[in-house]
Amino acid sequence: MSRITRTPRLIAAVAAVAVVGLALATVPAQATLRNEVGVTDSSVTFGITVPMSGIAAPGYNKVAPAAQGYLDYINENGGVFGRKVTLKIEDDRYAPATAVSKTNKLILKDKVFGLAGSLGTATHLAVLKSINPGKRGIPDLFVSTGYSGFDNPKKYPTTFTYLPSYVMEGKIVGKLLASKFPGKKIAILYQDDDYGRDGLAGFKSAGTTFVSSKGYASGSQSSPGLGAQITAFKAAGADVVVLFGVSSANGIAIATAAKLGFAPQWILGSVGGDATTLKALGIPAALLNGAMGASFLPSTSDDKDPYVAKFKEINEKYNKGKDKTWDNNILVGMNMGMTLVTALRAAGKNLTRAGLVKALEAKGGTFATAGLVPLGYSATSHAGYTGYWFGAYDAAGNLVPDGGKYTIYTTDSGSGAVVTSTYVRPAMPANAIPNN
Amino acid sequence: MADVSKRPLHFLSRIPRPVRVLIGIALSAVLWILIGDRISEFRVTQGSSVAAYALAIISIVMLTGYSGQVSLGHGAFLAVGAYACALFLVNLHWPIWLSFFVSVLAAAGVGAIVGIAAARLSGPYLAGTTLAFAVGVPSISGLVNILGGEQGISWDAVEQYSPPSRYGDPYIFLNKWVYWICGAALILGIALAVNITKSRYGRVWRAVRADESAAALAGINVARSKILAFAVSAGFAGFAGAILSVTLSSVAPSTFGLSLSFFILTGAVIGGVRSIYGAIIGALALVILPTLSDMIASNASESIHTNLPGVITGVLLVLTVLFNPGGTAAAVNHLAHGLRSKGRNSAH
Amino acid sequence: MSTLLSTLITGLSLGAIYSLMAIALILVWRSTRVVNFAQAGQAVFSTYIGLEIHRMTGSYWLAILLSIIVGGVLGGLIDLALVRPLLRRAGSGPEAAVAPVIATLGLLAVLQGVVGMFWGGELIKFPSAFSTAGLSIGGGKIPFSAFDLFTVGASLAVMLAFSFIFQRTGLGLSMRAAAFSPEVAQLAGVRTGRVRTIGWSFAGAAGGLAGVLITPTTFLAPNSLDLLLVFGFTAAVVGGLESMIGGALGGLALGFGLAFVLQYAGSSYTFMTAFVVLLAVLLLRPQGLIGKRGGRRV
Repeated sequence: MSRITRTPRLIAAVAAVAVVGLALATVPAQATLRNEVGVTDSSVTFGITVPMSGIAAPGYNKVAPAAQGYLDYINENGGVFGRKVTLKIEDDRYAPATAVSKTNKLILKDKVFGLAGSLGTATHLAVLKSINPGKRGIPDLFVSTGYSGFDNPKKYPTTFTYLPSYVMEGKIVGKLLASKFPGKKIAILYQDDDYGRDGLAGFKSAGTTFVSSKGYASGSQSSPGLGAQITAFKAAGADVVVLFGVSSANGIAIATAAKLGFAPQWILGSVGGDATTLKALGIPAALLNGAMGASFLPSTSDDKDPYVAKFKEINEKYNKGKDKTWDNNILVGMNMGMTLVTALRAAGKNLTRAGLVKALEAKGGTFATAGLVPLGYSATSHAGYTGYWFGAYDAAGNLVPDGGKYTIYTTDSGSGAVVTSTYVRPAMPANAIPNN
Repeated sequence: MADVSKRPLHFLSRIPRPVRVLIGIALSAVLWILIGDRISEFRVTQGSSVAAYALAIISIVMLTGYSGQVSLGHGAFLAVGAYACALFLVNLHWPIWLSFFVSVLAAAGVGAIVGIAAARLSGPYLAGTTLAFAVGVPSISGLVNILGGEQGISWDAVEQYSPPSRYGDPYIFLNKWVYWICGAALILGIALAVNITKSRYGRVWRAVRADESAAALAGINVARSKILAFAVSAGFAGFAGAILSVTLSSVAPSTFGLSLSFFILTGAVIGGVRSIYGAIIGALALVILPTLSDMIASNASESIHTNLPGVITGVLLVLTVLFNPGGTAAAVNHLAHGLRSKGRNSAH
Repeated sequence: MSTLLSTLITGLSLGAIYSLMAIALILVWRSTRVVNFAQAGQAVFSTYIGLEIHRMTGSYWLAILLSIIVGGVLGGLIDLALVRPLLRRAGSGPEAAVAPVIATLGLLAVLQGVVGMFWGGELIKFPSAFSTAGLSIGGGKIPFSAFDLFTVGASLAVMLAFSFIFQRTGLGLSMRAAAFSPEVAQLAGVRTGRVRTIGWSFAGAAGGLAGVLITPTTFLAPNSLDLLLVFGFTAAVVGGLESMIGGALGGLALGFGLAFVLQYAGSSYTFMTAFVVLLAVLLLRPQGLIGKRGGRRV
């Protein structure tokens, strides 16, 4: 048989195979994928990506186990409408690429009902852009970052943020700087990404001017360190230094300044302001004494607060994390668990993804949680907590309210003014078990 | 049995080469699509990663397997390709395949420059230089504003890749669309790689690898051949980087750290540094191993769970080097060769 | 003026640690012709052991001593269990060129993974025997602490000890002979295998010391010493890979270089600097600052 006759026949055969193959190729049926997954009559599963190891892990690695501890407490008390709530925890090492692949695993392989409490601005931005949980109808609740761009119901219809935005924090702290430290030279260290830039925008709208403003790239705080930035602040004669970074960066900044004999008034941003974490990183409490910071939850040392007292008790009994030393990260995690349970109750017995999102929009603003500032959830806003109180760290490293009592400041992420609020949170349901 | 095993594909050699290549491409494409339809959506996303890693491993095969040079910094070339793709795709709104083309050119250009240095260096000096290169390049993103710093650049996948609407909801179809794009890239890459290694350049590279002095005596410009090998290899790595960024819809320096360079090298060794098809095995191993250890350690504590993949990969690497230095491809070849000669013997 | 002084001092303490790591890598390279990428994993492992000892006994000195011993023992074991069979099986072709690189990288992954399994992935503060607060000189504080002084002193002591062993002892002579020409040394009665194992042990011990010296100023985590490996390797290559003094000079040069870049250009430029310095040195002197031109040229 000659080459000439064989070749066209072979091509025809291949073409036939190709046509048959393409005909066999099917397109995923939408119905199956849009179905409610991750929920049965006896269970509902959520997924969370957090840095459990690596440079951003100190402190943050305690949030998810604390939330799971609270959920275990609820499960032992009958769950939510008979459903046990579980949280699948995945370590993203604070790297966007890992966060995307781990979230894909949670959604497509583990088939979670929704995401809850995923942490990190850069990591979650990558998740939203590439996986787009909103467009697939997957609830993306209580994102643990204050990046204001996530509160965008049109673009991200199922995403709800949890922390007050960094813009709000910048505006509120900026206003307090002006009233508490008039005429002083102020410097700022910020993480060089949308987290830091968001905060800078807030300070700008509060009219704060900095004598020195230095960024650090995430990861560079451990090697080569922050010596250059701190030297610049010292050279500029800064009296007040705002640390708008993660715990490890703030810790290294304070240690570096101590080495240089530079002792400004420190203002710690809420992200890296947990004293227990800083102490675990080797920063003596004495160096923190007198530093100022902001929080939206009650002070961790405020044992008279019913939420703090009950959460401490639950933490002792139910938290199976590696380190359950009581601190603000545990408080944040427990409160996140409680907010999730409240939302599930608000969605009713017949739990659906769309129903959960609707319930948060309709009733989220009235939830009873430990937060001392109001939650901003509504049909037009998916912003979580909307304000801060301001305080100073005592000798033991606890953040206690300035002037002995909580003064609540609220604002928005836009051009709204910073106002002193008279908000009083709803009373705690019995035993911290939501009954809404 | 013996009749079938007697050179079963013998008649194929009578078909002209270009036709054979086209047939191969068509069959692979059909196979890729059919596989994609028979696996879960999660496996589809893993398939896209396999394509990206396979391209990256091919770039190592071109450099180490064919030209005999060792690079510990190929992650940096992936970074160059990925950022080039992101800039042209997102900022300049170029079509995606043109952006890939730019990625290849950009990485190959950088590769040629590094190759000029590499041609003068050998052994540990080359390893050290490429290692420093791998650490240095991703940090450039912090120096140039347009590269987006630590956070990198991210884009809306559906907007940029525009999956055809006839397949239904684009957000649901997206994963498969990306899988198709990655498959097309992989098949194109393999065809190119096979073509290059079968060309005059491939032969020259192997001559230089075998004995530099002899090659020089035979009139080969050794330095030029090494530089060319570096540039071609970097071009493939750039293509791989562009594909990787497509699967993630984002680029960030943390994606292209030192561990990526080591990761690719691992895949190349497991698959076999001399085999282009071995690259697919290596890439599959890279994606499957973590899943496998996930299954083994599903009930173990969190720290064991996180670290098991690394330990398994490490042990596998050491064992491969000690007992099967040619990688899986060589082992399969060996096995097939054994079977074939056995078959021939029984036919006699 | 004080900024310049403080930059110089920062460079000195960075350089001392890079030198130590460079010397560890050079020791292995000289004895085996292998670049040991597992060095970072070995150092992390021995440092965690030191941390555990400190937790149990509270003694910093016992911790540092045991870190060095564990580092040395581990180095020797790796030679016996991995390097020896690897050299015996050394084939030819591209596989032989990558084999040692891959084997030590694989070992690095195993060591870091095992450390992560036992101690978890979180950052841990490693204690220091001395204050890390800057010393006071003439009323002002300088960024040089008692601990930095200890670091520089310990590194210097190790370098002097190694130089003494190499130049003045029979063991040192055997090591140099085995490195220079294994076959001739073997004929002359040197047990090259044993000499190589000792070289790996010394390197492991030096790496262990580098680990306990660098972690108090940053943090300890399974992969926290990766960058030390990269900078140490850069220093070793800049120094020419063959001589201890070259490695020490390479380390100091890199330490000063990085300190100046950090101070005057910003932290984003650090990694590029290491690459550019390395490339410049190698293009001008492909054999390193103190290497001998050897091998065949084409």
